This record gives sequence, structure tokens and C-alpha cells, in this order.
Amino acid sequence: MEQILATTLRSATPLVLVATAGVFAFRAGIFHLGLEGLMITGAFTTVAVAEATGSVELGILAAIGVCMALSAVYWWVIGPLGANVIIAGLGLTSIGLGGTAFALGAIFDRRGSLFTDVVLPRPVSGITSGPGVIVSEHSILVWITPLIVLAAWVVLRRSRFGLRLAAAGEYPFAARTAGVNPSIMRLQALLIAGALCALGGAELSVGALHNFTENMTNGRGFIAFVAVIFGAWHPIGAAFAGLFFGFADAIGIQSQINITERVPREFVLMIPFVLTIFAVWLGGLWRRRSLEAEAGYAELREPDY
Amino acid sequence: MTGGLQRVASTILLVGVSFLLTALILWGSGYRVGDIFSGVIQGSMTATGAATSSIRWAIPLLLIGMGVVIGFRAGFFNIGGQGQFYVGACCALAVSLRWSDGPAPLVVLCGTLAAVVAGLAWSLLPGYLRVRFGTDEVLTTLMMSFIGALVLQYLTAGPLRNPSGTGQTAASERIPEAFRITDGSGVSATVLLLVGGVAVLVWLLLERTRFGLAMTLVGRNPTMARWQGVDVRRVGLVNFALSGALAGLAGAVELYGPAGRLVTGFSPEVGFTAVVVALVGLLSVGGTVVAAVFFGGLQSAILFLPIVTDLPPPALVLLHGMVAFLVTVKFRAVRLRRAGPASEAPTG
Amino acid sequence: MTVPSSPASAGVPAVRCRSLGVSFGSVRALHRVSLDLAPGQIHALVGQNGAGKTTLAKVLGGLQPADTGDVHIAGREIPPGDVRAAQAAGLAMVHQHFSLPPSFTVAEALELTAARPGGRPVYRRAELHGRWRDDVAEIGGEAVLSTRIRDLPVETRQSLEIVRAMAAEARILMLDEPTALLTPAAIDALFERLRRLREDGVTILVVLHKLREVAAVADTVSVLRDGELVLGPSEMSEVSQGRLSDAIVGPASQADRAVGVEAAPGTEQQTLLELARVSSRASAFEPGLGSIDLSVEAHEIVGIAGVEGNGQRSLVSVIAGLNAVTEGSVLLGGTDVTRAPPARRRLRGLRLVPFDRNSEGISRRAPLWLNQSALRLIGRRRRRLPLISLRQYKRKAATEMDQWRVRYDAVTQPAESLSGGNVQRLILSRELAPGLQVLVAAQPTRGLDFSATSFVRRSLRGLRDAGAGVLLVSSDLDELFELSDRVLVIYGGRIVAGFEAPYDRRAVGDAMTGARR
Repeated sequence: MEQILATTLRSATPLVLVATAGVFAFRAGIFHLGLEGLMITGAFTTVAVAEATGSVELGILAAIGVCMALSAVYWWVIGPLGANVIIAGLGLTSIGLGGTAFALGAIFDRRGSLFTDVVLPRPVSGITSGPGVIVSEHSILVWITPLIVLAAWVVLRRSRFGLRLAAAGEYPFAARTAGVNPSIMRLQALLIAGALCALGGAELSVGALHNFTENMTNGRGFIAFVAVIFGAWHPIGAAFAGLFFGFADAIGIQSQINITERVPREFVLMIPFVLTIFAVWLGGLWRRRSLEAEAGYAELREPDY
Repeated sequence: MTGGLQRVASTILLVGVSFLLTALILWGSGYRVGDIFSGVIQGSMTATGAATSSIRWAIPLLLIGMGVVIGFRAGFFNIGGQGQFYVGACCALAVSLRWSDGPAPLVVLCGTLAAVVAGLAWSLLPGYLRVRFGTDEVLTTLMMSFIGALVLQYLTAGPLRNPSGTGQTAASERIPEAFRITDGSGVSATVLLLVGGVAVLVWLLLERTRFGLAMTLVGRNPTMARWQGVDVRRVGLVNFALSGALAGLAGAVELYGPAGRLVTGFSPEVGFTAVVVALVGLLSVGGTVVAAVFFGGLQSAILFLPIVTDLPPPALVLLHGMVAFLVTVKFRAVRLRRAGPASEAPTG
Repeated sequence: MTVPSSPASAGVPAVRCRSLGVSFGSVRALHRVSLDLAPGQIHALVGQNGAGKTTLAKVLGGLQPADTGDVHIAGREIPPGDVRAAQAAGLAMVHQHFSLPPSFTVAEALELTAARPGGRPVYRRAELHGRWRDDVAEIGGEAVLSTRIRDLPVETRQSLEIVRAMAAEARILMLDEPTALLTPAAIDALFERLRRLREDGVTILVVLHKLREVAAVADTVSVLRDGELVLGPSEMSEVSQGRLSDAIVGPASQADRAVGVEAAPGTEQQTLLELARVSSRASAFEPGLGSIDLSVEAHEIVGIAGVEGNGQRSLVSVIAGLNAVTEGSVLLGGTDVTRAPPARRRLRGLRLVPFDRNSEGISRRAPLWLNQSALRLIGRRRRRLPLISLRQYKRKAATEMDQWRVRYDAVTQPAESLSGGNVQRLILSRELAPGLQVLVAAQPTRGLDFSATSFVRRSLRGLRDAGAGVLLVSSDLDELFELSDRVLVIYGGRIVAGFEAPYDRRAVGDAMTGARR
């Protein structure tokens, strides 16, 4: 049981970080399907720079920089250039997945994966029995993530910036009336989201593991996105949804070890996706009751710039 | 210049920009872009068997891409073509292997029907959730896609696995040669007739039937369509069914045509590439045919004739991502209409 | 920063603009508009739809940059499109479409639009409520602060917009068609409020549609036509009603003849539409229907009066088949269609002019011909081959649009390129095609200019004379009294009263507001 909880924390942290990124984007009215691409870009950049410089801090800073730059380009394409948010987001994901795999070959001359010894510090380690196992061996990012979620809550729900952001996302006209430029608010939200995706990717590659592997995010960006909807676009809600998906993942990993003989591994792997469909379905039901009309939602998917 | 020509021109320009950006990245990584370019030309057209190979790779893109066209026409972002394609192929495989001693035409017919029905069902579940509960189809079709990939993985690694197979990737047993509708090249008169016929039917449906017009109306404004007496739910269900059926059919064609067996995770990008193809084809059937051949040629040159180009496969993913990233850009310079005061909240 | 000495002093206009010009593509929204508004008065701005009133208001408020010309507020020049500068100069706007995000609470919305800085960037809820408590005293006090905007009644929303403007210590208040959604009583209250603000020295510019309202509240009036200022600002006492209407409509406007409507054969003295004890579930916006009995005969226009949000939408949706009936039955031409889908009702001769023509009546992004042909897409076809000829569809659409004098360039242009009046003509050309038995017209003239309004009214009368039945849902009492053979009043989802001509405006008004049952 302790092992499951420890694994839950480990697999939930990247999800929670990226889900928080998704909440920022969603609040600004962007249906951000590029999270996966940003996340893997973050994972790769961290490993690549950390390996090159020997400093994990530099690696994370570089990842944040790269992901924010990509987010700015994404904003430019869907904002001033008027591209479709969903298609461009999926394109961003492909650019991330293809680009990192390509760069792995082009820069390091590797196929598949890249190992590194430069990893994030682990404040508590070496506990092998008792409840302490739950908190042992986690990277510093796991410890910081709750603070990030809390900060996101304050920024989004208890600050004037959050009000402006929500107005820009929900009703751009209201924002403009208040002298706020909705497009600039979207840019800011996307930049924050980019930085959070970089952290999520870094946790995946140098926090929980010691390597970068092609396609290592494996749909986590999309699951984080679902956590946003499941969590009703609320930073705390999304964090709990992320934690829940992390828990499902942990059970999956455990059962791979224990019950593979009886249940085919593929079926266990399907669980998060099936749950996700349920989550979107239930989230949709909830949303329908809470939102005024479907039209409002359609607007979210294709915001008026 | 008319609106239609303008859209074609801007799409070609955007695809060109995407290629240029990708070429820049390749050039920056030390590849010789000129060599790659001539390699792609050879690998897609001039080399022996290249043209055939291009068409072979264009066929699944075209079939799935037309499904995307149908979906987008009615405003549904059905982007789960990959999973529908996989389960279609799996069902055709299961029928063919379990009934491997049956009369070939009958088995192939049943297998194809099974594939169509499976793809349809895989698409109809998100479709039903969408029209009945308003569940967002972007995510559900995507998730169904992931699940479809796992179904394929399970079948090829488990029940339908070729026990004598070696190597890392699991593969199924081969279907009997008698069931194949093409040789290894994947192109034959049967397949071309089938795909061409389907394309004509889809075109007629979209452009020359009242149902097709109703679909367009639903895609543009479902509320108005409802007020006009259009059964939006039925249109939605049929729409998802058709998209899925086409992707399922693509799976059957793949199995009975060039593949002959299924390998875990084969053609992993075809679903997404089909979306790109449909968008580059301006969501029209004719445009999708052209775009499918174009991207099929690229795929053939980069993935399957690597001797010619020597590019790593992820470069193609990168390229497709780049095209998707940019292809829906609307030129503000063209200023078809500047956002007037009425654009935010429609006034009377 | 030095504030110019007493900006409201005589001589300095509160609002001054010089040769403003704005174009949207090839459409000229404003052309060389120059205007001086004296401080401390109520100025009315009138004009037809598409005359540029809203655009002018937006330019003055800094929401829309002008292509040419300049704007001075209280003597200060406002850079084009600078909302903040306009606000800083003391100008506040109340928009036609409310400017507060529906999911925000009142306190959050006030904070969002606050002009004065609110201290630390992060706040606590209690702190926020404390800050705005005094400002909302007039609209329900502190309790209203945690209410979400979308849950407020429409009058309160509008009052809140004024509260917001006043909280920003505005000296110049602009209201864009504030009366469009209000009941007569709420309009009186609004005007009273504007007069009180004028007493306090606030300058007010109000965009209005009805001359009766202009006469009731304004000190001066200005008229826009086709983006040009054709009259004013003139003192109300100096212009006659006749001169005003002439200025609004313009000399070139030719009277439209109503289009002849084919009589539905064999419909003499017959109940065409009947609702028997119909109830339905409440929606997010409106009460459900409560046991409604209603019938529309041939040769009859039945008016439905009511304050908006009292079940009109539910009523029309139930008749159209878009909302389910929980009890009772709906009959079309004597046939029970209670469970029939919308298409079957349409095929039985039910035609609809929906509430919101831009979202429900047309598809803005679809081409004109497809919009016009929509009703031809349902039902069975006699021919065996399911293929159709687009050319035939387009030709037919063109013929019918020409007959209804829809102004357009090509049948393939998107419907969003049409003006409001033309959109309504397009809808009528579709809905009033042969086969019509009953027309349900919801707010058919809302937001239309004078000539389009009279065209629609003539068409409805023509329909009645040709033997059809019309159910007219409108919030314009004058329209109802002018057209209807009977008027029913809907209140809280129930029909609470019925009237016949001659109508007693007072009594109808009482029934609408629930004062009488």
C-alpha cells in the first residue's frame, strides 16, 4: 500500500504540473492540446542541457526557456495569425514528439533514449519500510508541486490578474471594456503554461527517472488535459484529478508486477484511457449544468481574437 | 481572385512555409537539404516502384482523410482515425485467421464488412456521447484511438500472435495468400477501383445530396439547423459512423492489400497525418485526393526507401506537426472581412 | 499631472469629436462625424440599424479605433482605441450587450472593471466585499455581491453597469440602447435615474431607438444616417417629431410593398394551432410552461405579450418541437404532433421566425443559397435518385430572395454579410414560402429599422389576410396592439390574461408585471 501511494505521488506530479498549465490555458479560453508536445520538449531539453553542462538547474532553466518560446510561437499562430487552436495544438504536440526524437539522433547520435546521472536532488531518501516509504525517494519537484498548485490558486482565484485572465477567456468583450487586451492575457497564460509544462517534463525525465526516452510522455499531456476538465478548470480540482489519475497509473504499474499472469497487460494499460472517457463524459455533464449554453463552450474552442 | 482560389493559394503557401522551416531544421542539424530533396523526388516518383509505393501509402491516408472531411464538414472534430483504422484491421484479421479455410471472396467480403463495422462502432461511441450528452469529441476520439492501439497490441502479442515470430515487435500470423487483393506493392486494379469508387460516393454524398447539405448546415450552425427541422442528432450519428467506417475500411485494405499480417503499432502516424491531409486538401474530396498522394509520396520516400534519403523517421513526424501547426493560419493581410462591431455579439 | 482647470466648466464640451471615420472593409460605418456635446445634459443619439450609432459610441469610448479624426473627452484628447485614457478622462460606457462576464460574482466584476487601483494585487473575498459594499446599496446591498452575474435579472444587470460606471466616478456616461431589453416600468426607472444623474452634473449620451423615449428623456438629439451625422445636436424643443423621422429615414427611402403570400387552401375557419394544457420543464433562463391553453385560427394573428423571460422562449420551443412537453398536447391543423420531431411539424406547414435571427434564424457562415434552401433539406423526396442539382437550388433561392427584395451580390456570399433587415427578409423568404399554415414569429421586428419593421408588419398582415394563422411573440406592445386580433399575456410560464381590441395598455402592462391576475 505504501508503495502504491509513493508511486502515486511520483506519477501524479508531472500530471499535476501539466494540468495546472492546462488550467491557465483554459482560463484564458484556450483548448490547449499542445501540452504533450511542450511536456516532452521540457523533458528532453532538461536532460540534454543537464547532460551537456552537468547542472540540472541550468537544464530546467533551459527547458523553461524553450517551452516558453514555443508557447509564444503557438500564441502567435493561434492569435494574430488566426489558426485553429486544436489543430495547431496537435501540430505542436507532433513537433515536440518528432522534434525531440529527431534531435536525440541529430545531437547525441542516439536512437531511443539518453541516460543522465545529473538528476534532481531528493530531499528524503533511504527509507525502505513503514509509512516513510510514501515520502521517500521523491525529487524536490514533488515537494514543490503543492506550493505551485497553491500559488496557481491564488493567482487565478484571488488576484486581479486572475480576474483579467478569466474575463479574457470567458468574455473577451468584457475584458476589452475593462481596458484589458485579451490577446495579451492569452499570451501571458500560455507563457505560464509553457513554464509549468517544462517543469512537468523535467520531473518525468530527471525527477522520477534518469533518462529521456522517445515518446516518454506517452499521452500524459492529454491525460493532464482531461484532469483540467475533470477538475472543472479549477487549479485545486485539476490537481486532485491529476492525483487521481496518478493513483490509477500506480495501480496499473503494481498490477503489471503482480497480476500480469491473469489480466493481459494491455487491458491494465487501457484503464487510464477508459477512465478518461468517463471523466470527459461526467465532466461534460457537470459542465452542462454549470455553463449557460453549449455555445459558450464552442467559443472556448475557437476563441474570437 | 475568388475566395476559393485564395484559399488554395494560401494553403500551398503555408505548406511551403512548413516545409521550409523543417528544411531549415534539417540543414541546421547537418543534413544536406539538396540531397534530401532529390532523394524525396526519387523515392516518391522516379525510382523503380516509387510511384506505386507512393500510391500504396496514399490509400490509407485518403480513406481516413475522407472520414475526417466528413466529420469536419458537420463540425465534428473526429480525430480518432488511428484507433478506428486499427480495430478495423484487427477485426478483418480475426475473421480471416479464424476462417482461413473459407472461400476467399466470401471471407474477404466478411472481413471487410467486419472492419467497416468495427471502425464504425469505434467512432460511434464518442459520436453517441457527443450528440446525446454533448461530451467533447476531441478527447473521446483521441482516447478511443489510444485504446485501439492497445487492442492491436494485445491481439498481436496474444491471441493472434505468430508463435514462430522472432524479433522485438509482436506480429500476427499471416493471412492466407488467397485472401490478398494486391501483391506486396499494395496496389492493384481491385484496390484502385474500390478506393476510387468510395471517393466518388463520398463526393456525391457531400456535394450532391440533401443529407450532405444538411451536414454542412449542422457544421456551420447547429442551432439554426435544429430550428430548421434538421435532426441534428441523426446527422451527428451518421456522420461519426461514416468517418469510422471509412477508417475501418482503410484497415481492411491495409490487411488484405500490402500488409498480409498486422504488426504492433504499424503506421503509427496515419490517423494524425490523415487530419493534416484533409486540412491541406481544404476539407474537400478532390483536394484530399491530391494531398493524400502528396503526403503518401513523402511517407514512401522517407520511411520506406531510406536508402535514398537517409532521414530518420521522426523528421517526418516533425514535418507533419509543422504543417498542422501552420495549415489553418488565416491571412489577416487578405482581410476577407475585418472584425466589425457585430462580430462579438451579433446585433440585429 | 496637472488637471485642466474645471473640465466641466462652460465652454469646454464634455465630448467633442472631429471628422471621425471608420470603415469595416468596404462598409463605411462612420463618415466625417463631428459632434460637440455640452456638459450636464442628456443627449440622445438616434438612427436606423446600421446607421453607425454603436460604432460611434465605441469610438468615443475608446473601444474602437477610428480611421480618421480625433476625440476629446472633457477637453483631453484621447488616443485612438485607448479605453483607459477615455476612462481616465471621466467617461464610462454601458453597453447594449452587457459587458460583465456571466460567471463572475458581482464583486469580482466590479473589481475587474474598477478604474481606481485596488491596493495589493492579491485580495481576500471579505476585503473585496468590503470595498464594494457601499456601491451596491442601491441594487440590493451586500447580499448581491456574491451573486453571479448570470443569475441577476436583466434590469439589475443594467443597473449594475451604471453602478460600475458611477463607481469609476464617471462624469460622462454613455448608454448604448439601454431600453432594448427593459419593461416599460424599468424604462421609467432608468430614465428617472438618468435625470438624477444629470442633476449631479453628469453628462449623458444615450443611444435610443424609439422617438417616444427620446422625447421622454433627452435634452438634445442627434441623428445618424448611413454613418453620417445628419441632424444635431439640436435642442429637443427645436425639432418636431416629423423632422426627426425624416432625418432618420432619409429622403431616398422608398416604400416597400408587401410581398403577396399564397393562401393556404381550405383553411377557412379552422383551428390551425392548438395547445391543450401544455406544461414543460424550466430551462436555465426561463420558467417552464404551466398548463397553457392556446389556439390560433385561420385568418388570425394572436399576440403574446410578456416581460422577457416569462416563458416565451419555452412556448415557441415547445411548438417548434425543440423542447419536450411534460404534459398536455400540441395540435397542428387538427393533428396531434406532441411527440413529433421538428421536421414533421415543419412539413405540416409550421413556419418559424426565431428570436435571435443571427444565431437561430440563419447560419452566418453558410452561403445565402444554403440558408435560403434550408427547409428544402428535410422530408421525403419523390424522385428515386437521391442526387440533387445545386444549380437548381441556387436558382430557386435567388428567385425567392429577389422576390423578397433581399439585397445581395451573389448567392454564394456568406449570410453574415447582410444587414439586419436583409437577414429578416431572407428568413421571411424562406419561412413564408408556399405550404405555410401557421407562422410563429418571435420578436420579428426587434432591432430592425423603420422601413424594415413596417415591411415585416405588412407581411404578417398579408399572411393573415391570405388565410394563415400567426402567433406573434413580441415585447413591443405597440406592435402587438397594431397587429393582433387578440393579445394573450404570458407571466411566469402561464397565460394569465387575454385581451381584445381596443386594448387597454395599462391593463396589459399590469398583467405583464403580475399586478393583475
